[in-house]
Parts: sequence; C-alpha cells; structure tokens
Amino acid sequence: MDNTSLLNSSLTQTMDYAAPILFAALGGVMSENAGVFNIALEGIMRFAAFFGVWGAYISGTPWIGLLWGIGIGIVIGSLHAYITVKWAGDQIVSGVAINVMSMGIITYLLELIFKTTGYSPPVPYFGSSVNRIHIVFIENIPFLGAFSNLTILVWFAIILTVLMHFMLYRTVFGLRIRSVGENPYAAETLGINVVRIKWFAVIMGSIFAAFGGMALSLGTLSSFTNAMANGKGFIGLAAMIFGKWTPFGAMAASLLFASAQVIQLLLQVAASGFAKLIPLGFYLALPYILTIGALIGVVGRAVPPAADGEPYKKE
Amino acid sequence: MILKKLFSRRKEEYWWMTIAVPLVAILLALITGVIFIKATGRSPLKAYKLLFGSSGLFPSPYWKNHFAEMLLSSSMFISTGLAFSIAFKGGLFSIGAEGQFIVGGIVAAYFGYAEPFAGLPTILHLIIIFIMAMAAGGIWGAIAGWLKTKKGIHEVITTIMLNWIALYLIEDWLVTGPMKANISTGISGTPYISATAKLPNILPGTRLNISFIIIAAAVFFTWFLLYRTTIGFEIRAMGYTLVFGMEAPKASGVNVNRRIIQTMFISGAVASLGGSFIVLGILFQYPPVFEGGYGFDGIAVALIGQNEPVGIFLAGILIGALRTGATSVQLAHIPKTFPSIIEGLIVAFIALQELIRYLIMKLIVPKRSKSD
Repeated sequence: MDNTSLLNSSLTQTMDYAAPILFAALGGVMSENAGVFNIALEGIMRFAAFFGVWGAYISGTPWIGLLWGIGIGIVIGSLHAYITVKWAGDQIVSGVAINVMSMGIITYLLELIFKTTGYSPPVPYFGSSVNRIHIVFIENIPFLGAFSNLTILVWFAIILTVLMHFMLYRTVFGLRIRSVGENPYAAETLGINVVRIKWFAVIMGSIFAAFGGMALSLGTLSSFTNAMANGKGFIGLAAMIFGKWTPFGAMAASLLFASAQVIQLLLQVAASGFAKLIPLGFYLALPYILTIGALIGVVGRAVPPAADGEPYKKE
Repeated sequence: MILKKLFSRRKEEYWWMTIAVPLVAILLALITGVIFIKATGRSPLKAYKLLFGSSGLFPSPYWKNHFAEMLLSSSMFISTGLAFSIAFKGGLFSIGAEGQFIVGGIVAAYFGYAEPFAGLPTILHLIIIFIMAMAAGGIWGAIAGWLKTKKGIHEVITTIMLNWIALYLIEDWLVTGPMKANISTGISGTPYISATAKLPNILPGTRLNISFIIIAAAVFFTWFLLYRTTIGFEIRAMGYTLVFGMEAPKASGVNVNRRIIQTMFISGAVASLGGSFIVLGILFQYPPVFEGGYGFDGIAVALIGQNEPVGIFLAGILIGALRTGATSVQLAHIPKTFPSIIEGLIVAFIALQELIRYLIMKLIVPKRSKSD
C-alpha cells in the first residue's frame, strides 16, 4: 500500500468511525439547544441499531432498515418528550430510563426474533461495496481520495452538520429553538409555542441519534451485536459538550476522537523496538487520554444553553 | 414518627408522597411488564412467580440462599447508587461510578494477594485493603473534580473518559501484564486473594458476607454527612444553587472548588466499595473480563431512591432482588435481562412522577378532605 492510499484509507476509516459519534452528538445538540437534556442517546442508538437490522433482515434492503430505525427513533423521542415536555419530568431520569430499558428490551427481542443471545445474522448493509458511494475520479488524490468510497450514512452526517448549523443560526426557526433553550419564559412572551418546539427538537434529536445507531449496525458492521452501542452514545454526549453545543463543534470533536482512535490503531501496527513494550491497554486508552488532553489545552469553559435541563412548566 | 421525620424534609404538601411515588412507579412498571410479556406470547404469571419466588424477597424453598444472594448483590448497587447521589447532591453529574468501581476492584485484588500483607490478621488486612481501594477510587473521582475546577472541563466528559481509561488500563494492561497470575497456576486474571482478605461470612450455609453491613453503615454515614455536617450542608447548597452558578454558597464563603473535588473524592470512594465487595466477597480475584454495568445501574438505583440515602438503600435491595430472580425467569423462556426492562420502566415512571402525583391527588386526596 503506498502512502497516498494509506492516508486516504485512514481518513476514510476516521470518518467511518466518527459518523456514529457525530450523529449522536448532533442529536444532543438539537435537543439541548431547545433545553432538553438527552442522555438517552446511547439507548436510542441501541434501539435503532437493532431495529435497523431487523428491518433490513425482513425486507432484504438496508433502506427499509433505515426507515425502521427512523421509526423507532420517533417512538423513543416521543416517549422522552412525553415524559419531559408534557409532564415536565426530570430529563436525566427519563434518559436513564430509556438507556436501562434499551438493555433489557433489545436483548429480549434478540432472543425472540433471531433466537440468539448477543448477535443478529448478517443483513444487507450500506457498507457493502455495492451500496457505497464511489467517486472514481478523485480516488488517487491525497486527502480528497478519502471521500471516494464513503457510505451514504457518512455523507449524510456531513450534510446534516451543515444543514443544522444553517438551521440553528441562520433561520428564524433556529433562533426560536435556541431562545427556547436559553429562556423559555421569554420565548413564550414572544408568542413562541415552547411546548411544540421542544417536542420537535426532542424527536428530531432522537432521529439523529437513531441514525448514529444505524451507522454502526448498517454502516460499519452488517449485523447487530449486543455490545452495541458500546458507549458511543456517551462519547457523542461528550463530543456535544466538547463542541460547545454547536453542530460544527460536535463535528470537530467527533473527528478528533475518531482520529485519535485511528492513530491508536496505526501505532499498534507500526510499533517497533521500545514501542512494542508498551502494553496494549495504553494504546486503547490513548484516544480518551488525548480527548482530556485536548480539552485541557485548547478549549475553555463550555457554557450550555441557559435553560438546558430545566423542566418547563407553562405559567 | 420516624418515617415522617425522614421524608418531610422536602417541601411536600403530603409527606407520604415521597414514599407513594416510587411504590406506585414500581407497581405500574410491573403492570407494564405483564403487558410486555403477554404481547410476546409468554406467560406473565409464570414469569413473575419465578422472578419473585427466587428473588429473596418472599419465602420460598431456598429462601435462605436467595435472601443471601439478594443482599450480596444489593450491596454493589447501593454503593454505586450512593456514589451517584452524593455527586448529584453537590450539583455534579458523575457518570464515573463504573470506572471508580473497577479501580476499587483492582486495588482490592492487589492488596488482597500481595505478599507483604498476606500474613496479617483478617481485620487489619481488610482495613488496609478498604483504605487503599477507597483512596484509589476516590482519587479516580477527584481527578474529574480537579479537572472541572481547574480547567473547566465538564464532569460528564471527564467521567466518561476516565471510565474507559480505567477499563483499558486494567483489562489490557494490569490484568494481562504486571498483575497476571503465574501461568503455572492455571488461573486467568489476577491471583486469588489470601484467606485473610476474604470478607467474613455472616450467614453460614450461604455466601452472605459483611459487605451488606459495611454498605448499611455507608448509607448511614452518607446520610449523616449530607444532613448533619457542615460539609454536607455546603455540598447540598452547591446542588441547590447550581443553576445560579453556585453564587450563593460562593458569596457565603464556601470554597466551592475545594468542595467539588472533595465531593467527587467521596463519591469515587463510595463507588470503589462496591468493586472491593465483588473482588473480596464473590470472585476472590480480578477476572480477565469484568462483567460491568454496576455503575450505570447505580444511576437508576439513585433515581428510584429519589437520591436520598434511605431511598437508595431500599431501591438497591429491590434491584438486587430482581437480579437475583433473573436467572430463574429463563425457565419461563424469558431472557434473564428481563429484570432490567422492569428496572428501566420503574425509572421511567419515576420520571413521570408529575403524572403519578396528579393521579394520586385525584384518586385519594379529595376523598380525604371530605371526611375531615
């Protein structure tokens, strides 16, 4: 493998790795800008990863799986919104409930539907070379070539980041969402329907997180494993905070984390001499240490939306 | 009335509401569980009979054993539940119990088998182990507190990262490297701890050991710390004024930064107790792969227990009971993760407590006021 293709494939790998985290982080950005905590990202990813595979298994096409995943995202988002917006329930409690339920329900369904403990049979997925988006003419150009062989989900993650930035900061609707997150009572006096905006943001955020789950089970892997999402949702949560509750910030954070992960893998392979003596654990822990290091070095105090996490009760 | 005194601290119109809400939530969760089992074509009655029959909560043929197992696993859930709530009371959202738990476990394993300590009398040996494990877990927690106060990094990020760092450093370095048992012994994981490091049994014929007594004491100390000491008062003051940037405690001279680090230390130390219990009382070594999850279940336990020490104690026993009965539900062709569905549902209904309060008020309270 020559240097260009190694570079490009590493970058592709980074983006593959970053996409699920980015989706989760964007889900969090969406929901928390409207003032609703969402620590259920992990659970939603798990639900969607499973339902996506289930849909693809039954229909034989990942596209139907995608629809199933979006569907479960809407269901879970509605549950979270019903608890936290309709009944002004504690948002952390609701999120934890979804996470805990995801563990039980999915294992249950896995056994019910696939008669297995821990994994599903392989299904058609977006990562297979037929379903990837090939852009042949940039294949051999350094850097650009990394974009020549991505899955549709990675492209969607990139587009979604840009769209969300535009929506949040360049449209009236985005301004309304942010005003609800900053000060719902002031927003209400301006005639904004706070409750409806919160419902919308929570459900949209949940759908984005659902895409994150599918990026795992239908994007990089072709099946569901019981370990999914294996903490990716929480890393997404961290990426959201790291990125200061903005779409591009979340993207930068996800990419930073993913590249640390890829560098770690490359180092493991390339290790020679003294580096061979370093135990595996240090390599595996490196991305997490680097993330803390990056936060110490670069980023200042993160300020969440002012009314983030506060239940809103109409006066 | 003791109960009234314990719970009337909250500004409730009816003091019993704090007890009624979790009970109704548990009831509703069990009912939803019935619907779920029914919908998937299995027998709910059989499932619940098996689940509660062997949970240790109710008399059954092997009650003594189930009861012991229930308390044994409860101690772990109570420890991580307390850890979450201590940080939470101080306005800190710590997801770090998972990492602090295993840090406590590995340190307990080391001081359990390490040569120089192996000859000590049990009491002395255990005291040393617990001090070391709690110090290590506490420091693991305090790192997050320190990073928050000195560098302004949100504790959610650092605790998540520290969980993974702990996991990888322990499982892919310590347990497979410096702390690995001698190959000739044929043991995978760390060596077994010496006999003097095993937690003394308190119910002959079962595995029940003093871990439950220790955790009951920890519950009391947490309550004492939070409600009877100045530090506890200041911790709670930080939590109450979190949305105002903790200005009030700052203005009244509380060294908020120092308290944050201390709170995280205490929280981590309590979480590490659970890790020590599992190593010293159940596994007797640190295995190559640790079945985790206690940290995250601890959040659920804390929330079901309304973040009050006494509530967490009871919620921990409930979750411990559900987990103890979990293996038996497989006889009704239901996966053993079923209890975590119930657990999640309970938490969901706790989140819906406004609805529950509303329903209770509607159903019960008007009748009462009429009869008065």
